[in-house]
Amino acid sequence: MATPVANFKETPEEIAYELRAAEGAAWIGSRSLIGVGAFIYASLAFAYFYLRSANQAQLWRPHHVTAPTELGAAIFALSAATAALSMYGAYRFRRGSVVDWEVAGWMGLLLGALGFALQIYELTRLPFYPGSSGYASTFVGWGALNLVGLLGGCYWLETLLARSLRLRRAVAEDGGAANSTLPAARLFRASVEGCTVFWGFLAIVAVCFWALFYLV
Amino acid sequence: MASTITTPVEGSTGAPPPAQRMRNRPAWASQHLGTALIGAVGGYAFGHWIGNVIAAGYTVPQSNGQNDVAVVLGLSLGALGYLIGIGAFNYPIAKMFGREPLPEVAEEGWQRFFRFNLDHKVVGMQYVIVSLLFLFTGGLLAMAIRTELLNPTNHIFGAGTYIAVVGEHGTIMMMMASSVVIGPLGNWLVPLMIGSRRMAFPRVEATSVWLFSAGYLVILTALPLGGFPTGWTGYAPLQNQSTAGMDSYLVGFAIIGMGMILAGLNLGATIINYRAPGMTWGRVPIFVWSVLATTALLVFATPTLVVAGLFGVLDRTALTAFYVNEHGGSSFLWENLFWFFGHPEVYIMALPGFGIVGEILPVFSRRPLFAYKVGAAGMLGVALLSFFVWQHHLFQSGINPDMRPLFMLTTELISIPTGFIFLVGLGTLWKARIRFEPPMLFALAVYFNFLIGGVTGVFLSDVPVNVTVHGSFFVLAHFHYTIMGGLIFAFFGGLYYWLPKMTGKTLNRKLAIWHFWIMFIFFNLTFFPMFIIGLLGQPRRVFEYATRLQGLNDFSSVSAYILGSSFLIFAFNFVWSIYIDPKRAESNPWGSRGLEWQVPTPVPHYNFERLPVVVADPYRYDEPDQGVADFGTFGDPALSPGAAPGERVPHGHVQSSDDSGDFDPRPPII
Amino acid sequence: MATAAPSAPQGGNSHDLRTIATIWVVLSIVGDLAFWFLAGPHIPPGRMSDQARGAQFDFNVLFVIALPVVILVWTYLGFAVIRWRASRPNADEAPVIVPPRTALRIQTSWIAITSVVVIGLFGFGTYELIAPAGAGGGEGPTPIWKPNTKTILPIQVIGQQWMWTYRYPSFGGFETTQLMVPKNTEIAFHVTSLDVVHDFWAYQLGVKADANPNEDDVAYVKPEQLGRFTVRCDELCGLWHGAMYSYGHVVAPTAFYHWATTTEQKLAANTKTLPPFAWTYTPGANGASGSLYPSNVDPYSKSSLYGSSTVKVKQYGASAAQS
Repeated sequence: MATPVANFKETPEEIAYELRAAEGAAWIGSRSLIGVGAFIYASLAFAYFYLRSANQAQLWRPHHVTAPTELGAAIFALSAATAALSMYGAYRFRRGSVVDWEVAGWMGLLLGALGFALQIYELTRLPFYPGSSGYASTFVGWGALNLVGLLGGCYWLETLLARSLRLRRAVAEDGGAANSTLPAARLFRASVEGCTVFWGFLAIVAVCFWALFYLV
Repeated sequence: MASTITTPVEGSTGAPPPAQRMRNRPAWASQHLGTALIGAVGGYAFGHWIGNVIAAGYTVPQSNGQNDVAVVLGLSLGALGYLIGIGAFNYPIAKMFGREPLPEVAEEGWQRFFRFNLDHKVVGMQYVIVSLLFLFTGGLLAMAIRTELLNPTNHIFGAGTYIAVVGEHGTIMMMMASSVVIGPLGNWLVPLMIGSRRMAFPRVEATSVWLFSAGYLVILTALPLGGFPTGWTGYAPLQNQSTAGMDSYLVGFAIIGMGMILAGLNLGATIINYRAPGMTWGRVPIFVWSVLATTALLVFATPTLVVAGLFGVLDRTALTAFYVNEHGGSSFLWENLFWFFGHPEVYIMALPGFGIVGEILPVFSRRPLFAYKVGAAGMLGVALLSFFVWQHHLFQSGINPDMRPLFMLTTELISIPTGFIFLVGLGTLWKARIRFEPPMLFALAVYFNFLIGGVTGVFLSDVPVNVTVHGSFFVLAHFHYTIMGGLIFAFFGGLYYWLPKMTGKTLNRKLAIWHFWIMFIFFNLTFFPMFIIGLLGQPRRVFEYATRLQGLNDFSSVSAYILGSSFLIFAFNFVWSIYIDPKRAESNPWGSRGLEWQVPTPVPHYNFERLPVVVADPYRYDEPDQGVADFGTFGDPALSPGAAPGERVPHGHVQSSDDSGDFDPRPPII
Repeated sequence: MATAAPSAPQGGNSHDLRTIATIWVVLSIVGDLAFWFLAGPHIPPGRMSDQARGAQFDFNVLFVIALPVVILVWTYLGFAVIRWRASRPNADEAPVIVPPRTALRIQTSWIAITSVVVIGLFGFGTYELIAPAGAGGGEGPTPIWKPNTKTILPIQVIGQQWMWTYRYPSFGGFETTQLMVPKNTEIAFHVTSLDVVHDFWAYQLGVKADANPNEDDVAYVKPEQLGRFTVRCDELCGLWHGAMYSYGHVVAPTAFYHWATTTEQKLAANTKTLPPFAWTYTPGANGASGSLYPSNVDPYSKSSLYGSSTVKVKQYGASAAQS
């Protein structure tokens, strides 16, 4: 039904225009994704404070039960370390060192995946039944949502690292992924920037809920 | 014969298109709806088996002779298998190996509508099909409800069947309404209206429509699983008490929610970034404004629904106690989370409808859109305020009773920006030359119906009156007047208006007008009596009611049958005019100035031969000589008209990185 | 921008405006008066109680305000459809454009008028909510808007699938399915539930309050007429929600006292088997809200991991089942 577009050719100006739009979309997309995440975790925080203040049947948190503290601290530290590594990597990336970013990225990915695994392990080692208190319920909810967040962050980072390897040859003569003006490189940079901000967001979420569940 | 084009972002030209090779495979080896359904069945079976293994040690709860772990895993993995089967995960998996996206393929023929297609026009038509499926399924259930209510004491259904039907009707209709405009028309029209060749995230967009259809299949499984007794609001702890049909509700709503989030992400990024040169915020069509306001709601309100559903699923499978009071949870938690999503949801439905009406009115009254800026501000205002009104659903619940005046205030405040939309409509009609084509009839009917819906909303927002009408048929009539009278009428107006462009065929005008009058008259005859029924004391979702109300209920039921049959006229018209006796539509049959009408019909795969340079807003019906956009001057400073100050990209030096735009969300160059 | 062309063919703007305004004013006055005097006194929920009277008054006031709005838009639409159709004779080709300054004035006054109306409605609604002690709606466990009197008769309303029972704490806390309320007495309905969310709707009394498990939801009412009223469940509560209705009676205070004391004696043996009167009751752990635990686990055991041993939980279902 669509008209044949075999001889359809975009002008260089149009390509440049759409490329700018795609870069902007990467920026808006990553920020909107953080917006989605913010409302997801805000809903969890709402549940936490709501059940805490309601304290139904005095079962918000009997005997101040706490999830395994060491595991929780480790998961939090791993999330924060991944975020720090990706931020440092992105900083080096902006300075032109793609290899530094790659090394930091792979290390961050490893730590993030470890955090993911530890979170699963922690959920199997809880000293309370999921339904024994409001605290227990929200903690299980946090575990599930943290898994989703970590999985998403790790997936994004991994795709970028894999893309970076494939990109290397294509942009080698054009100054590398950090400097190339090729469309693929520009979009790659936009995505790296978005991923870094997203990991920063995950780290903020991790510190907030770590404080809520283990410190308070 | 399919032909390929490379997307600008790939930077690769002339590469052999593997995507095309794949699509040319025999049917059994390529990915389409059939493989998706196979994936769904396989996923369900696998998930059910895994669930039974995991929960082997569980004592099956007494009130609930079903293993919820197995059902939830079955439904979730079934949806996952559906998406894998359609091919939604091909690129996300290839991406893990660092691969670039495959070149987009301009597919031909009807098969493309049953595949994972990245063309926003195909996705829009897929949304039309699935939305109509939703609508007709929900409509049949509505007929069943009205049949049961023919008699106050003699029953056609058992109490359990009736409750299941009511819940299924409500949930299906809510799911449908949350995407019925934003999905079909939003996806189809937004790139054309803003002068773009593509969506920002076409794969995200395509995934959203397949999630939408997956949600349809999941919610249908509720019926064989025994239905759910909670209605579409799913109140806990009845939710915890229910049988396995509840899992379909929770998983289905979460899937629909994820589809809504994805659709919102894509549309928002597209509108903000992909506007053509000259398409300033002051020239963006009002429909695009409404979609933009809606995307904000989709992106920020829907996550709460998904999380609330997750809590419900955890309650039923992992045996947490989010909604169980006696274990430290709270049934109020669900009510708060649900309505925190639920009220913005109402405007997710209503706003795009207003946008459609704003597009139709100027065309058929040959007048500029009155108070365009006020209208756009009204939509943003409604979107913002809708986050602060959710507790008006809970006026009698005992939650935060002292806050009721505040929520009464915010609720009534919403009628101010909603009033802007009436101002836009009434101002546009002033001394107009109104042509009564089917789209215009539907648009005028929206004002007629939504006025009743809106005014009765003020009654509901008033706490003392709310004591009487809360939870009664009055509420039911109110939201049917806003959602069906507003949104569905706008949807059909939009379909009659844009289908000639979307399909290239002319719809039969006589049948359309018959459809309108029957639908309009019997819609009002069906739902207006419900205001009275509610005031006279009939609660919602009951199958037994006072015998003195039988007359009104029967009147409503009979009207509902005729109302339902009017949709058959549409279905017949749709099939007849498009498939059986197609008549070619002109490229601009209504004489519209909208950018989407300036392209040939059928719309080429890449929308615009040359990117347009927009020179005016699309409502200048007072200046017939004023052009809308220049095609073919893009990037040519000699041919380009005087670019308005504040335009996003000055022509001729598009590559420079320090353009000052009126809105440039890009990060600093990295 | 558009050249402001305040052309005024065919009698001009003022002519059409005057026609619309005349039709609007006449219809509004007729409609409002007809409604207020003919329909108003019969608007539900009637005048059986102070709160019902207030709700009826509120509804009527809102209707009288809303009707002119509706009539304005309908008149305008009807006028537009008839007068400004393209097929009319001498349809003007040259578009009539509202001059920008006029348009601005229209927009600002529209915003101003709607804002004033909305703020007025808010003030009116708030006053009508606070003055009659919550207007019959559920006010949660600690109401801040109470009737101005010391003598309030508490009646506990217990929702359960799928019936209502009532306990009268002033008369030994006996429990019955009969709802009797004395006339001209301030009554506090304490609404609670044993399982899922119900909603206590005493229709003619103008009372509506959600029945939540573990929550005490208070609604005040002062009946002013003798007679029968309908009680319906107004929140979907499962299978037999549609059949969950019964009737209550407003009786004279002396008749009520007589009924209450005799019933108290008649049910005395029964009352002893009930859990002691409390504002809320916790259903059994394996009760209607779903058995969350394997049958070999007691969620209220003294285990340090599980529940709190200090919590006194009134097991409603357990003790009632023994009787």
